[in-house]
Amino acid sequence: MSVVSQILVGAVLLAAALPLRAYADRPQSTTTAERNQSEYYWRSIPVGETAEIVTLFCRPPTNSGGVEGEIPLIAVLRDTLGDANPNNDRLTYVWLLTYAPPNLEQRFLSAIPFFYWRVGDGPDVTRPRDTKPLLNLAAPEHPVFSDGMRDLLQWTLLDPSTTPIRATSRAYRTNDIDHERLHLEEAVSYLRLAPVSDDAAGLTRTQIYTVIARLELRKKMLGGFVNEHQAARLGEEADYQQERVRARNWELLRQCAEKTGLVFEPLSVGGTDGQYAMLWFPVKEASEPLGTSLGPVWKLLNISDPWRDGRLEDWRGPVFHRKMDDNGTLLPAGAPGGERVDLLPLGVYSLNYPKLPLLLVDFRDKLHVRWHEMTQRSINEITAGVIGLSHFTNWYYYVGADLYNFVVARHGTAVEQSARLDCYSQFRVQLALDHQLDPVLRKEMRERIKVLEINPLEANPALELQAAHARYEQLEKDARPDGVLVLRLDKDRREELASFGETKKQLARDGALHMVTLGAYTHRTPREGEELAMLDSYRRAQYQLNFLDSLVNAATEPEVSYESARIESSVAELAGLMPYVNSPAMRVHAGATLQKLEGLSHDTTLRAGCVEALNSIQRNSAPAQPGAAPGVSAGAAGAGVAFHISGADGPK
Amino acid sequence: MSRFARLAASAFLLLSAVVVTPAESTPASAKRLVILKIDGLNADLLYDAMAEKDPATGKSRLPWFQHVFGENGTVFDNFYTRGITLSAPSWSMLGTGYHTVIRGNVEYDRYTGEAYDYLNFFPFYVEYARSKEVDMPGVEVLDRAGVPLLMDSFGFVHSYQGFQLFQRGVRWRTLNSTLKKRFSGKVIFSMIESGETPSLDSVLLEEEEVELERGLASPEIVYLDYFTGDVDHEGHETTQPAALYDAMRRLDAVVGRIWTAIQQSPYAAETLFAVVSDHGMNNVPGVMSQTFSLPDLFNSPDGGGHHVVTDREQFSDFKLRGLNPMRHRVTTPSTASFYLKGQAEQYATAWLDIDGNERAAVQLRNSDLNEIHILLQQLQRPDLAARVRAAAAATLKALIDRHRAAWEKTAEQMTEEMQALAARIAQRKKQLEDVPRKWTHEDEDNGNDKEARRLIDELAQWEHEHSGYTSYVAHLRALLEFQSSPDKPLQRPISELVPALSLGDSNSVHQLEHYVIALSPGGLVVGQDGHLDEERSFKYVNYFELLAAQKVHNNPQKELSPKPIDFTAMRLPDGLYVTEATGPQHAYLLYGDAASQLVILTDVSGLISVRPVKELTQDQSGKITWTDQPWRAGLPLQLFEDPRSNIPSGENRAAWLSAWHSEHEWMEAIHQTRYSNGVIGITEQLSPVADNVPGPRGTSPVLLRYERRRRELVQADFHVFAADHWNFNVRFPNPGGNHGAFFRISTHSVWMMNGPGIPVEHITEPYDSLNFASTIMSRMGCPPPMPGKVVPLP
Repeated sequence: MSVVSQILVGAVLLAAALPLRAYADRPQSTTTAERNQSEYYWRSIPVGETAEIVTLFCRPPTNSGGVEGEIPLIAVLRDTLGDANPNNDRLTYVWLLTYAPPNLEQRFLSAIPFFYWRVGDGPDVTRPRDTKPLLNLAAPEHPVFSDGMRDLLQWTLLDPSTTPIRATSRAYRTNDIDHERLHLEEAVSYLRLAPVSDDAAGLTRTQIYTVIARLELRKKMLGGFVNEHQAARLGEEADYQQERVRARNWELLRQCAEKTGLVFEPLSVGGTDGQYAMLWFPVKEASEPLGTSLGPVWKLLNISDPWRDGRLEDWRGPVFHRKMDDNGTLLPAGAPGGERVDLLPLGVYSLNYPKLPLLLVDFRDKLHVRWHEMTQRSINEITAGVIGLSHFTNWYYYVGADLYNFVVARHGTAVEQSARLDCYSQFRVQLALDHQLDPVLRKEMRERIKVLEINPLEANPALELQAAHARYEQLEKDARPDGVLVLRLDKDRREELASFGETKKQLARDGALHMVTLGAYTHRTPREGEELAMLDSYRRAQYQLNFLDSLVNAATEPEVSYESARIESSVAELAGLMPYVNSPAMRVHAGATLQKLEGLSHDTTLRAGCVEALNSIQRNSAPAQPGAAPGVSAGAAGAGVAFHISGADGPK
Repeated sequence: MSRFARLAASAFLLLSAVVVTPAESTPASAKRLVILKIDGLNADLLYDAMAEKDPATGKSRLPWFQHVFGENGTVFDNFYTRGITLSAPSWSMLGTGYHTVIRGNVEYDRYTGEAYDYLNFFPFYVEYARSKEVDMPGVEVLDRAGVPLLMDSFGFVHSYQGFQLFQRGVRWRTLNSTLKKRFSGKVIFSMIESGETPSLDSVLLEEEEVELERGLASPEIVYLDYFTGDVDHEGHETTQPAALYDAMRRLDAVVGRIWTAIQQSPYAAETLFAVVSDHGMNNVPGVMSQTFSLPDLFNSPDGGGHHVVTDREQFSDFKLRGLNPMRHRVTTPSTASFYLKGQAEQYATAWLDIDGNERAAVQLRNSDLNEIHILLQQLQRPDLAARVRAAAAATLKALIDRHRAAWEKTAEQMTEEMQALAARIAQRKKQLEDVPRKWTHEDEDNGNDKEARRLIDELAQWEHEHSGYTSYVAHLRALLEFQSSPDKPLQRPISELVPALSLGDSNSVHQLEHYVIALSPGGLVVGQDGHLDEERSFKYVNYFELLAAQKVHNNPQKELSPKPIDFTAMRLPDGLYVTEATGPQHAYLLYGDAASQLVILTDVSGLISVRPVKELTQDQSGKITWTDQPWRAGLPLQLFEDPRSNIPSGENRAAWLSAWHSEHEWMEAIHQTRYSNGVIGITEQLSPVADNVPGPRGTSPVLLRYERRRRELVQADFHVFAADHWNFNVRFPNPGGNHGAFFRISTHSVWMMNGPGIPVEHITEPYDSLNFASTIMSRMGCPPPMPGKVVPLP
């Protein structure tokens, strides 16, 4: 333990020894969000000459204690093909820069059943493989296959084995899944704080939504199969849903406070607003409300009735002297006016849990929340790991368990373990980044949230933030013209080219082969030096086709929703690009779309444009040379697009 | 086909011939009517989005609304909900064109506790499946009141009605197709691809749209409507402008598809397409709506320690009982009940309609009934001193005598009504002997089965009512005949004298100012003269003062006042203040606090006057007194200080506000103010409801009186209106926005039309709910429900 840590621990012990210790003379700075707001911004670095890495940074206020200086949080590779046209951009890799892959010791501990402690601070060495992406947006289905394989392995080989093998393998798998989810949620929570960029420096709104959606979908079993068009939409809707949940929980918690005579205070933590709130116990001012049975409310709040709690009469923790205005609002520390109220902290709640405010910190009972988590984990380990109950053969147990969960959820218990994990993930990083809370309160929270670290794979969040710099530097190196990213990008582009125009059956076959060969085989086109030009044509054609499809799917006059000139321009561009697209399926698709568009439109010019485009596609049924595609700046004339299947010995 | 079915079919054909053919009488009239009904869409929100250009498309942000109505139709810029801004009353007015007989989202009969739950679809579906009900509760109430729906004019076979609050029948085929689609392989595959699970609601809406389009293709169908509550739900849940815009964008696409289907239909050029919303929504970005719990207040000792009845569970998501959609009445016991501990199910004494969000209707047990109940409890005590027993018995007798004349009249009239009802029951039973049990598909398509089931359903209702009211009258008579023994404890059960689940007569202003909630802590006190000292024997609450004094402890948003209650409103008795030549007919009190009150007066010709008063009170004899005060800022409705009012130039503001004006003049003067048409809204909401009940054709005077009584019995003692951004919905949080009050943001609603003879125009004249159906029917060449309410269009 470092000297600083020892001093801190000593201070905490001293504080605990002083009952009802007040510290009115200490500067208090709770909820001074305006002054202490962390700043989030994007920064871009080139990858070769045809792509870029956009990175989200956080800059905490200076001299605010905790982590200092700018912190790179999350990076995304944007394949721009080297031009300024956003229509052919593609997002591929996502790196969570604060993520440290667990070390061997942690992995070993995570395989021990019923071991619910984090030992040490986690990995402390930054290795090159630390920059392994969290997710590849270009191949979201790959993790679905690999997860399926792992599950199959578990069910068919490990589960039927002896209890030690089943229990350890299940413990390891559970910890591994939780650990991944913890970081997926961490990445999502950073992106939700990211500013929307209108220029090339950062991600646009649609791009942010797409990345959020892909990260969220990664948590779902078949999420990787969600198509490209739906992803951005899902991200947007997830954002709305999150806000709905927060608003609902905010008001639910406020109502509970009002019913029970407690004091409610929304908290700003780590640059977030409206995600956390706190309940305080007013020491002198209020009395217990009468008339309504409060039992169900305490259950919902997941705390014991403070009005009948002897611990509060002999409170040894800090007492906060605050002021409340006539309006019923707790004032920020140092604000003029208001009437003094002495408050004891009761609980911190996450407002992000889907059903109800989730208790994260219980100031009266440090182990309360941990105990609940450990109990649920233990039950799962006993049933699935030790006893070996299976969802297939012992379905009645799981039906019973689901029924039980349903009933207790209807009585205000937070039963969704994964959603609780998400809330915990958000809170741990936001608390690590926080510079807004009262330092004493923050310290109390950090002490108490630590007990929720029940996964041996976890690392110290403060150290993770510090290590992010090293990973970012590694990423900068990888992005150089001679770095590994340029090479990887080339492979990905050839894989993308190979997949263009393939049917779903063919795509499934390629995916399956990729999985069966454990990634050794990937379907790619051979390197011919014209990939950029071809990709430009394909991506732009696909972009325009998606746009026209959206108009056609509406089944209404397209020119009412969009200016005719824009639609005409899209039709013309598609017609101009189709000769460079060597995909019969895409040609048929484009023909059908244009025909429907022509049928829906009442605009004679647009209809004429559609007919002309259709004729043009039919005339130019043979593929043209990619270098001649309008708007293509790179690439040389070649012999058209020829697809080859590259095997394990092909270029990678 | 049975004889009954043939009769019914003939009646339908005759009706259809009468009501559908007049379309040809007016050159500009339409042959088909399509109404898009949108719940809870604020007009400002919609019109602003329509006017805004989307840089991504180069068109309006809501291109179809703008194209069909903004650029090629009529938009009513100032269309308002008349009365309180709740779905049930508002849709009833829009759907009938008549003054409303439904004044809340749930109503309770004071005598029998019967609940009229207008928003709950589920019991209706279940009862329909069991052949117990045919129409939604709102439609049943309208039918009993003799108020026809607009769609009735077109006949069953010529109408297609979407799923909505005022719904006739259930189309199982729609639900069947919806369920099939919901669980089809295609949907499951699309779920994997999209990552979304479509809700049953969204699939139902899709199916309805498909059926609507199918209906448009059929020349037989001349009335079609489509109802959606998506925007209302979104508005309740969130204040995010992007999410609300997203919901409107989905609606815009619906408008586009309906319009496209109309253009491809046989009556393309003769279809009147109207969009209407029932109310707006007090939804302001960044400001969350906070709930004030009226049940907690009425449960509390200060609030009277009432056991409280609501239509839904509080925090229903966290109770297993909250899953039961068949419940219409939920009792929340008070842990502080003074004299009814453990009797919550029998003697819940405060009944609330809090589905109103920004307003709540409160019905309290008659204060004198409370006093009678307490006195009877005391008389049951064997240890009561003889002197006190005698005084208590005398007071009880005096109390009963005070009501004797009124109660005897009620008992007499209701007995007469029950006899008439019994005769109708016998008659109906005989009539139903000829009604077949099974129906052919043809009968079902013609609606004959529903007509017959309506008769059966009505019979069941009559029998239920007969039993309930007869029991009430029996209790009333028992009380009137009650003689208490001066020396023996009362042996008789109180439940024989004081009916359970009954509130008795409405409370007067005096009773609400001086409401008996408990025996005083010292028990009954006998004065020197041997009489009971009632002031010292009982605990009282002044509800006007109590509600005005409410202040919350947790109010983190500075935009909200810590006082959650804006004002309370109630109807004052008629005829007690005839002080002017014009002779006011009705009067209504708006109580801000003791010093800030308004009295709204209406006369027989419909003129309205508003008076600022203070210290209004009523004595035990019923005499109402008040002190006039000059107009000033800070009174309920804020009429005097509102800069957006349009008082005619040159007029003295105070004089104008106190003078008598027509509804039209009031509307012109105040519709842009913070409380918009609140003055008119109060008169609509609180006026004697019996005046709006014409009764079904051919009803006898006794049964007409009975129907009117039934409507009067569901009227609230008083209404509580929430302060800005406060609401009373304790079922679950509605942090987005709410409606129910008279704030302009809640009353400002949507009305737009396109069709034959509909001008391209933005109409800025203010109109309200009553103008809608009359104007629509007039454009269809049909007789309007209220000819004076037809909006003149070129």
